[in-house]
Amino acid sequence: MPDPIKQTITRHRAYYCLECGKCTATCPVARQDSGFSPRRIVEEVVAGRAHAVLESPLAWACLTCRRCSEICPSDVHYSEFTRELRILAREIGHQGACTHGDTIHTWMRMMADPALKQNRLDWLMGDLQVSPTSDTVYWVGCLPYYDVLFRRQGFQGVDIARAAVRVLNALDIVPAVLADERCCGHDLLWQGDVNTFRHLAELNLELLRSTGARRIVTSCPECAYTLKVDYPAFVGNTGMEVLHIAELLSASDLLSAIRHLLSATRHPPSATHHSPSATYQDPCRLGRYMHVYDAPRQLLRALGIEIVEMAHAGKTSTCCGTSGWTNCGATSKAIQVERLREARATGAEMLVTACAKCQIHFLCAMDDPRLGAEIEMPVRDLITLVANALE
Amino acid sequence: MEKTETRVIVFTCNWNAYSSLEAAGVEGLSYPAGVYAVKVMCLGRLHPGLILKAFEQGADSVLLLGCPPGECHYGFGNRHAEEVFAEARALAHLLGIAEERLRLDWLDVGDGHAFVEKVTAFIEQLCSFQPSTLPPSH
Ligand code: SF4
Ligand code: SF4
Repeated sequence: MPDPIKQTITRHRAYYCLECGKCTATCPVARQDSGFSPRRIVEEVVAGRAHAVLESPLAWACLTCRRCSEICPSDVHYSEFTRELRILAREIGHQGACTHGDTIHTWMRMMADPALKQNRLDWLMGDLQVSPTSDTVYWVGCLPYYDVLFRRQGFQGVDIARAAVRVLNALDIVPAVLADERCCGHDLLWQGDVNTFRHLAELNLELLRSTGARRIVTSCPECAYTLKVDYPAFVGNTGMEVLHIAELLSASDLLSAIRHLLSATRHPPSATHHSPSATYQDPCRLGRYMHVYDAPRQLLRALGIEIVEMAHAGKTSTCCGTSGWTNCGATSKAIQVERLREARATGAEMLVTACAKCQIHFLCAMDDPRLGAEIEMPVRDLITLVANALE
Repeated sequence: MEKTETRVIVFTCNWNAYSSLEAAGVEGLSYPAGVYAVKVMCLGRLHPGLILKAFEQGADSVLLLGCPPGECHYGFGNRHAEEVFAEARALAHLLGIAEERLRLDWLDVGDGHAFVEKVTAFIEQLCSFQPSTLPPSH
């Protein structure tokens, strides 16, 4: 029988590791937690001591942010390597420390019940236009759920969903939204729960194929990457084009349509006209995983917003500090605080995110009476900014 | 297969609600066999994940029993429980769980009869449901 550890090592190029340590030097987790070293984990596993890694809490520390992959001279796929180790660790009874009391992973697992009948579209009201026969599916993701759990932090999840539909409608796209959509399974997969991930993916694939649509637009970078890359790799292809909404809107025809609409709604510039400034947080899945760096920036510029980049931006952008709702703690907080200081140092008026989870994590980190104003900054969602500008 | 029993998880706080459950036991009162009590020190210790997990693990319904308003032994626990309950109820609604399947209520200290009445009434209103609103048999 093939050894699953050896397969993991081979598949993700761990044998090629030079032990140069560049990964550890650049890793945001290692920067805060000297006990964590991706180089050492690769070395341990390759040296035949995988069991020690599988049993260690360190197996759950990586953010899977791919920051190290950008710099690794041997192209070791550290994030995917980690993901497979987690699948193996789970098989022998280990798991990461879930934050939020496992609330989020629980609803995700509950969604794998084929008999489930959700009420996930209560937000769909007013003049939002949708059509079940559309060629475009707007994939809402877990936004209505996060809306409930993170209201206290000031997160307004369903407003993002409404904004996405408003923007699509303004561009004459009437999307389908699906009452039986389930969690895409991203967080479960990256935490090693591949079985529940498969159940969710099978149910979602069946649903998506039944729509007859030709493309899926998401407002969550993680949903986009999962539907586009991990569904085909683990379960099956949607057969549809998958795009994050920022990618869709930056297509030249839509971008000019947005500019045209804005010129009609915007007040004429006056002498005192002040153009707002923003700094932009690249979500890991949208940036390093899908290489979408320019699209969100183009959108912001189209809105007349001046972009001031943080010291780490684009390929070197720093993760928002927590991934898959697991292992959030002092290290995550330190990463977030450092990132918020970096954002504030730009002097920009707001921090713009294109991922609901980045926004939630920054809002949570800012809720800190001790640091208070030192790290406070308005955090805005990209699509909501676009939708509001088009009103 | 016929569903023989409605399974109810009853979260009780250690103080008023649990003492009422104990009083019911001491007085030899009977209550439906599908009631599974889970004692926590204070309902304020709950979070939405624990309530969802009860449903995930097969509970038909969940009842939270704590102290009357103003009588929480820790001061703020039952106020916090109300917030948690509101979040859990909103999440349960999203997941298609009818709102009658989740309730927050309170009990005075050592009142066995009230405990039996409350759990029985909760189960009776559930039984008036169509079976289709309950999850498939486990
Ligand atoms: S950067 Fe790449 S080659 Fe260098 S130690 Fe890390 S995994 Fe190995
Ligand atoms: S993926 Fe990110 S968090 Fe994980 S080891 Fe690499 S740099 Fe560190």
